[in-house]
Amino acid sequence: MNLFGDWHALLIFTMGLLGGMIFGATPGVNMLTLGAVVLPFTVTMLPEHAIMLFSVIYCAGVFGGAITAILFNIPGAPENAPTCFDGYPMTLRGESGKAIGAAVSCSAIGGLASVILMMSATGAIAGWAIRAFGPQEIFALIFFGLAVSASIGARTLWKGWLSVMAGLLIATIGTDPVGGIPRFNEGSLLGLSFHSYYLSAGIHFIPIILGFFAVSEVFAQAMNIAIGTRERPQAGLEFPSAAEFWRVRWTMLRSVAIGFFAGILPGIGATLAAFLGYSQAQRWSRNRKNFGKGEIEGVVASETANNAATGAAMIPLLALGLPGGALTAMMMGIFQIHGMEPGPLIFINSGDLVWVTFAAMFWANLLIIFLGWLQTKTVVHLLRIPFRWLAPGILMLAIVGAYALRNLFIDVWVMFIAGIAGYLLRRTGYSAAGVVLGLILGKLGESAFTKSMQLMDYSFLGFFERPVAAALILLGFAAIGLSIAGEFRRRDEQRALLD
Amino acid sequence: MEHKLNEVMKSAAAAVALSACASLAQSEGLPAKPAGFGDRPLTMIVPFGPGGGSDQLARAMAKAMEEEAGLAFQVVNKPGGGGTAAIPDFMLAPADGYTVLEHIDNAVSAYANGDIRENPAVDWVPLCMTQITFSQIYIRADEDRFTDWAAFVEFAKANPGEVTMANLGRVGSMELVVMHQLSEALGLDVKQIAFDKPAERYGALIGGHVDVLFEQPGDVRSFLDAGQMKPILTFLNDRPDAFAGVPTHRESGADFEALTRFRGFYVKSGVPEDRVEYLAAACAAGFENAEYAEFNRKKYMHLIDSYRDIEGSIELINGAVETYRAMYEQLGI
Repeated sequence: MNLFGDWHALLIFTMGLLGGMIFGATPGVNMLTLGAVVLPFTVTMLPEHAIMLFSVIYCAGVFGGAITAILFNIPGAPENAPTCFDGYPMTLRGESGKAIGAAVSCSAIGGLASVILMMSATGAIAGWAIRAFGPQEIFALIFFGLAVSASIGARTLWKGWLSVMAGLLIATIGTDPVGGIPRFNEGSLLGLSFHSYYLSAGIHFIPIILGFFAVSEVFAQAMNIAIGTRERPQAGLEFPSAAEFWRVRWTMLRSVAIGFFAGILPGIGATLAAFLGYSQAQRWSRNRKNFGKGEIEGVVASETANNAATGAAMIPLLALGLPGGALTAMMMGIFQIHGMEPGPLIFINSGDLVWVTFAAMFWANLLIIFLGWLQTKTVVHLLRIPFRWLAPGILMLAIVGAYALRNLFIDVWVMFIAGIAGYLLRRTGYSAAGVVLGLILGKLGESAFTKSMQLMDYSFLGFFERPVAAALILLGFAAIGLSIAGEFRRRDEQRALLD
Repeated sequence: MEHKLNEVMKSAAAAVALSACASLAQSEGLPAKPAGFGDRPLTMIVPFGPGGGSDQLARAMAKAMEEEAGLAFQVVNKPGGGGTAAIPDFMLAPADGYTVLEHIDNAVSAYANGDIRENPAVDWVPLCMTQITFSQIYIRADEDRFTDWAAFVEFAKANPGEVTMANLGRVGSMELVVMHQLSEALGLDVKQIAFDKPAERYGALIGGHVDVLFEQPGDVRSFLDAGQMKPILTFLNDRPDAFAGVPTHRESGADFEALTRFRGFYVKSGVPEDRVEYLAAACAAGFENAEYAEFNRKKYMHLIDSYRDIEGSIELINGAVETYRAMYEQLGI
């Protein structure tokens, strides 16, 4: 295997790494945009170069999304959303370097851990996952994920649940997963009837994220400037100390496990991993009360988990030919364009290419540590750019990013509407991240739920005939019960304090 | 110095002449390019995501047409709504031949049951179909309850409503219509499980969450080659060579003309006649392109005639619309 044998490969590797980071770290566009832009060029590349390029973009892009989350409160991708909760407060405190340092190191650690696991047992793990997890188990897992993560980022439990419910509702717009029947694409409003093929495409989460985070952040900052309350965050260049990393070792390990597990299930992926990683860290941490106020452990939890998941998502793609997300679907296309079918035979027919993927991801993750360290010294200076210059750039890139997603103009409208809605949500203590979580998991969950129902002849009790599904659903209900009890206790405590 | 410059000029002229010859040789059999057409890149809309079957076909055909006819294409994916979200953008583009739409038979069934208003044979001009394929029923290679079609029928009849089949279950889809026809003819009661993402069905079969799968051979080739799946029934009038050991639905006692899966290229109606003719000829030349032929062979598209010209495509579409409408009436859709 000769990954860096020629300067050509080295150049592509470097471009992929930098491109992934830049697109990941630029508010508005993300690695999917970059993937779609470079896809046509891969046709004429050597297969190993094309596959390496996408593997590298994939690793670098997920990490890059953390930077904007921390510096500007704008996650680059949904899986970076929980990184905002503690990363941005750290920036406001002047600890941006620390937050980015933690995000970088943990991204790389999560990524490396999952690559190593992937190298050792891709075939076996994929075979196990596909047999053990049918639609019922996938639905149960999504239910559990929603149950434990629902209150994240909201002022109260109830507002958290309402946010998630709103997301679930938005997820029902568009074609239904069973009959392909379009929903909410025609009707009448105030006596005007409408019909839209665009709405049958559904509401995609990317423009919602751009609206909720990028556009509404611009509104919020502009408002703060207008009323003169905006504090310019200070750029901090300090890197986290070894002791700080040692303190969060269990959180890191837990997040690697969560991320890896979520990643190997096709379609579940990095977003659920990040939210689960964050909520579990909050649950078990000694500094529980500091979460959401700039606790480094929160950044560690979410960034380790989402990067572990992206590595693991390659397992079902390579071993079974099942892409879990948009970028892995593009990679599947690249394999096919070059005449290779991901699947069990790929290890026999194109074994060297599989190792190119592994090696490219390994080196990309390793280099992220170094580049990330450089970035803690450099990108934090972005904070020095006056916001009135930054804002139009963010808005413009967000528009480009929203349109480039599917080349459908509805996505630009959705982004602006979400921007206004997001601004109102923030001011009232609801959780924009919760809406996004509901939207993403709503689509996945509905798809798994409808298949489960068909398989079980529409009997809810069928879930309890399967041990894994039953356990996850019961745990989910337990988590809801506990969080309600906790909410009442918290309220009583606050009352006691007031008295 | 002057001498050298002369030489450079000469070789440049020679190169130009050579490339002119080459392009003449390439466009042999193509009608003359309509004046003023094809000077800027054409847009090819793919109503599905990057990397999928339609996207691969569109890019392969765009490349073949670039080589054969010297046209340049920009492939644009507009996924969503099972291929319907791209339609408004296609309909809004001017009827000048610069916007080509790739679409599959889903557009025809969607028109037949009223999901879309545009008739693919009237409101659009089908330039050509370049992938036409048949369906098969697959089981896990290590399945021990039934190993061939006869055993499957016996098993399914002994357990009515218990056997599960993974399908793309859009109401009125080709899969469901064909399975309905088969079940009627043979008295089968198979439980259809609707999936929304094509690839999920493969995992569901291999992982043992469903019993059988309805699919086209080109899409599961890797699983067939890996010995993970095997076909037990072919929906075709005669056995194709590649699947000589698998019975056809006709042999099993079902007497109907099975619907096919087809992918092709369209422009809006109203595009000037000479441009339509030129694009159709470019597509025909692209289909013969060696690299494209190899692409189709890999997808098992060489087993039956995979090409239709404009008239042939219109016939194919109208025939399919008729079958769908008749079946919908019977099914009460």
